[in-house]
Amino acid sequence: MDIIADIEFSVLLLIKVATLLFLIFYLVFAGVVIKQTKIMTETIQVGFENSIKALAFIHFIFAFIVLFLAVIVL
Amino acid sequence: MPDVFNSIKKNAKEMTLSGTKSKIPENKIPEKVGELKSLIGSSEVHKLPGHSHNPLASFSLLPDKVSFVNEDPQEKVILLMRKHPITNLGWISIAFLLIIAPFFLAVFTPLELLPSDYQFVLTLVWYLITSAFILEEFLSWFFHVNIITDERIIEVDFANLVYREITDANIDQIQDVTVEVGGTLRTFLHFGNVVIQTASEIPKIEFEAVPNPDNVAKILRELRIEEEQEKHEGRVR
Repeated sequence: MDIIADIEFSVLLLIKVATLLFLIFYLVFAGVVIKQTKIMTETIQVGFENSIKALAFIHFIFAFIVLFLAVIVL
Repeated sequence: MPDVFNSIKKNAKEMTLSGTKSKIPENKIPEKVGELKSLIGSSEVHKLPGHSHNPLASFSLLPDKVSFVNEDPQEKVILLMRKHPITNLGWISIAFLLIIAPFFLAVFTPLELLPSDYQFVLTLVWYLITSAFILEEFLSWFFHVNIITDERIIEVDFANLVYREITDANIDQIQDVTVEVGGTLRTFLHFGNVVIQTASEIPKIEFEAVPNPDNVAKILRELRIEEEQEKHEGRVR
């Protein structure tokens, strides 16, 4: 029974570490998206720039919330 | 020669604006680019077929708010194009499947064996990846634009979030324009590729899946004629 419990613990720990690592990298990626969106909107302006920037920012906030939740919940 | 610019409405009536006769007939793109350029800044431009105030439009004649990097202050944007909206159908379908997938995957995968906290976070991670996919596909479409100005043609390509390519060629460097419309969907919805052979360092610029490719080719031809006339008259900028 101890062996099964150990395996279960290891699997959950593995999932937790992998998820947190992924979410940290994802947060960096979301930051890159904001930066790239800024470059894109400077390259071409068609009158939709604020909405596009807001979209990228919401995406970053979403990534941050998921990381925060993962740290608390897992 | 059939006039492709007259194809929108045959029996166009001349419209009046503020009591004076308009420069353009209703629902008709002026034949000469010079006439088209003379509309820039006037209120009549808003009545032009193909002119759009929608920032997501894939074909906008004499757009109001368009500007781009390295733009010459005297340069006038004649046409802004993107891929036809129907070309987004592929990734929108994938996005839809990604959105509904967690409801079905939970039944077929060992996700059920995990504690509910883990299930919740992993589902959020799934939707995070889905949102990244949607955002990247949308931005790639939105920022992949083709611009025709009175001086040059420009292609802005954002292949992905970390790669961009801006190609331009002067109007007088255009050697050959080919319109490619193939397939049922493209014929039915009237969009296709406009392949432009140039004498610049980049020998070929391709406007992919743009709406009204015939009109695009016509505008390019008119611009080339006008540019040649300017050369003869010594009015080249």
